[in-house]
Amino acid sequence: MSRRTAAAPYRRWSGRGGWLRIAVLLLFAPAMVPADEVIRIGVLSHRGDPATATYWADTAAYLSDEIPGRRFEIVPLDFDEVEPAVESRAIHFLLVNPSIYVVMEVRHRVARIATLNRRVGDDFTTLFGSVVFTRADRDDIASFDDLRHKTIMAVDKTSLGGYQMTMYELKSRGMGTWRDGIRIRFGGIHDNVVEAVYNGSVDVGTVRTGILESMDAKGKIDMADFKIINERHDLAFPEKLSTRLYPEWPFSKLNHTPDGLAQAVAIALMQMHQKSGRNDRHDRWSIPLEYQPVHDLLKALHLPPYDHPDTFTLADAINKYWAGVLASLLVFVALMGLTIMVIRLNRALRLSKSRLERQHSLILNSVADGIYGVDLDGNSTFVNKAMEEMTGWKAEEIIGLNHHALIHHTTASGEPFPEAQCPVYKTYADSKKRVVDEDVFWKKDGSSFPVTYVATPLKDERNRTIGSVVVFRDISQQKRLEANARRHQQELAHVTRVSTMGEMASGIAHELNQPLTAISTNALACIRLVDADKINPERIKDILERINNQAQKAGGIIKQLRAFVKKGSPKKKAVDINTVVRDVVVLIEHTFGPNDIELKLALAPDLPAVYAQDILIDQVLVNLIKNSIEAMTVDEKREKSLTIRTEMADAKTILVTVADTGPGIDEEIRSAIFSPYVSDKENGMGLGLSISQRIIAEHGGTLYLDETSASGTTFKFTLPIHRETDHGG
Amino acid sequence: MVDNSKVYIIDDAEEVREALALLMESVGIEVELYESAEAFLEGDHRQREGCILLDVRMPGMSGMELQKELNQYPCSPPVIIISGHGDIPMAVQAVQAGAVNFVEKPFNEQALLDSVHRAFKLDAERRGKSMEIESIKRKMASLTPREQEVLKAVTEGKRNKTIAIELNISQSTVEAHRAKVMKKMGAESLSHLMRMVICVENQ
Repeated sequence: MSRRTAAAPYRRWSGRGGWLRIAVLLLFAPAMVPADEVIRIGVLSHRGDPATATYWADTAAYLSDEIPGRRFEIVPLDFDEVEPAVESRAIHFLLVNPSIYVVMEVRHRVARIATLNRRVGDDFTTLFGSVVFTRADRDDIASFDDLRHKTIMAVDKTSLGGYQMTMYELKSRGMGTWRDGIRIRFGGIHDNVVEAVYNGSVDVGTVRTGILESMDAKGKIDMADFKIINERHDLAFPEKLSTRLYPEWPFSKLNHTPDGLAQAVAIALMQMHQKSGRNDRHDRWSIPLEYQPVHDLLKALHLPPYDHPDTFTLADAINKYWAGVLASLLVFVALMGLTIMVIRLNRALRLSKSRLERQHSLILNSVADGIYGVDLDGNSTFVNKAMEEMTGWKAEEIIGLNHHALIHHTTASGEPFPEAQCPVYKTYADSKKRVVDEDVFWKKDGSSFPVTYVATPLKDERNRTIGSVVVFRDISQQKRLEANARRHQQELAHVTRVSTMGEMASGIAHELNQPLTAISTNALACIRLVDADKINPERIKDILERINNQAQKAGGIIKQLRAFVKKGSPKKKAVDINTVVRDVVVLIEHTFGPNDIELKLALAPDLPAVYAQDILIDQVLVNLIKNSIEAMTVDEKREKSLTIRTEMADAKTILVTVADTGPGIDEEIRSAIFSPYVSDKENGMGLGLSISQRIIAEHGGTLYLDETSASGTTFKFTLPIHRETDHGG
Repeated sequence: MVDNSKVYIIDDAEEVREALALLMESVGIEVELYESAEAFLEGDHRQREGCILLDVRMPGMSGMELQKELNQYPCSPPVIIISGHGDIPMAVQAVQAGAVNFVEKPFNEQALLDSVHRAFKLDAERRGKSMEIESIKRKMASLTPREQEVLKAVTEGKRNKTIAIELNISQSTVEAHRAKVMKKMGAESLSHLMRMVICVENQ
């Protein structure tokens, strides 16, 4: 801070031209020493270098004459050249305006030895002030108050009479350039200021006292063209004046200048007007005045050397550090803007987040499927409404607790379900999706319901599994429907089974009738023979044996029938298809002989078991065989043979073929034979094939018409082999 | 009972065949047993007298087919169908096709035996009637062509006068032919003559 304040005026006063000039001075100085010691007087060149040099030339000459062995030279210095000259000791004396003097006094211990006693007409004055003026025709400007929002041209920022005094006056009146919209421009030299006011490029000008009079006297201007603002008559000052008065320019010695020389110069200056004949026209020098008023002014304006102000106001700060303040302000504004942006963005984000959340929960709670999430510990992380409704558990009762222990603890068969085997657990253990077709979940009230569910691994943004999501569906209704459908189908199957049984019954009756007929006839014949006394005991015994054999045969038939009826098991189990075929064949064998049908069995040995309900497969075979027999007996003449074949269709499927040599199926109904109520038999219900097909489909196989032509019809059906058999071998 | 009448039992079931044979034996009827229709047809069935007990359902030629075959021979013995419980429609068909009766298994032995006796009687009647027709035919064959023309016209109910015009002969010649026809045919009256002709025509 202090370095900066010290450096600021230094920099302001140092220009390239100044340095160069001083360097030249230093270079040539030693060469001149042999003649006379050159004493340099630095003079502020506020009216231009040539004018300054000319103006002070006779003073220098006078001093050179008065003080032997010394030759005085005038060194004109611009405002910014003064301090470097003092600092580098390029000069011995300094003749500058009071404000620069005060700075040099404070900074470089320059000491005044005389104060200018300036000639004003016939008078002399050691004081000066500043005159503020405008064009005479500017009626709008009469006092300092009127300066608001006007453009003022001054000489230089460092010019005491041409700037600072006026500023002090404004400040004393509580005015400020910034506050009152006063624009300041600098003209560099007094003449420029006067000219600018005169030609109207600025509203007001300020110059040191005497300038206007001097220019008027030289005919450069006409005083009448100008109007003095705040003209002071009270101070009995000989020139036009707008401000208070200050001591005139001091003649001062530099610190390094020998006191003797300074004393000699001071005495010479005081005596100058007495010794020189032409001196009446010239300014005089008097004893140095007190420069306190200048100090006061500089203090008030916070100017060097008092740019270290006692009270540092915000205005000062702004003035001084405007760049920093501006930068800070900009940064602040930018930060504010950024903050507002961030806040807005944040709000927008929060809004869309809550919208998303609302949407998310709306979707989650609108679906009919139950959905819940579990973390890696198996604890529920969220549940949806459907889940609450289905399980009877409230979200807050489930979340954070182990889902498996709550809803999945027991299997459908009532055994404990270890968590390690739980598909949900496995899903987050190996990050693989699982679909479970049938399982049970448990409700809060202790009851269970059948479900189908999908467990999907839940991933975080780095694709690590952090749990799983389970989507499940209550399939009670579905299962009820399926059970109904199954029951319906079984009822239907039962109906056809009963009707088939009825038809078979007639066959069985016929079969049974033969031995019964023989028995009864033999017995009756025997009775007659005994009555007629035409028979011996041997014959009777022979007849009775025959009767016994026939009764045994009848019993065998009945045993067969009972076995068939009893066999019907309603549950699926591992069944050997060949056994089923043989059982059916035994049952309806009797129809082959009388109808002259040749039965060919081609049963592949060692077939794996199928998983089936055997009575239903019986039913299918009976239906197919019955159809074949009926088809073949329509025409008595044709060669009749029925072939039943079993074989492996592929590694997992068994193929059963029922082929006949019947006349084929009418083309008209061929495509519809599997539809219910379609039949080519006059008294058929048309349900046989439709039910058979459904039975096979229900077992996971297919029943189809393989081929039909005038020379025969072949039906085939497949059945998947039993899984355990499959695993076993 | 008469002569060489027999019961011909055709049934594929041996035990039934033999039981029936035993039953027939118990009432002194001779039997011949055949296990199939084909076996029966192999013999000279024209010489057979009595009746046939025929099972409807048999492998090979069925009872129905055999019956159709036998219908071609007028003097073939009458057929009694024996049928099991489920074959009644077939038995009815058989009766419509000329079987004299049907008997359900197991048999009511009295009913069966009655049926057999009735069939024997029918067979004998048929046999007698056919001999009468043979003699009528022989007598008709002995007539001259002109006499046959007159016989035809007479049996059509035409008067002598009409016949004379049609045959372009005199009425007295017609009367002479008519007298000869009556004599050759051994007809006692015109109605007797008419019966004989109808009998032959209906045969």
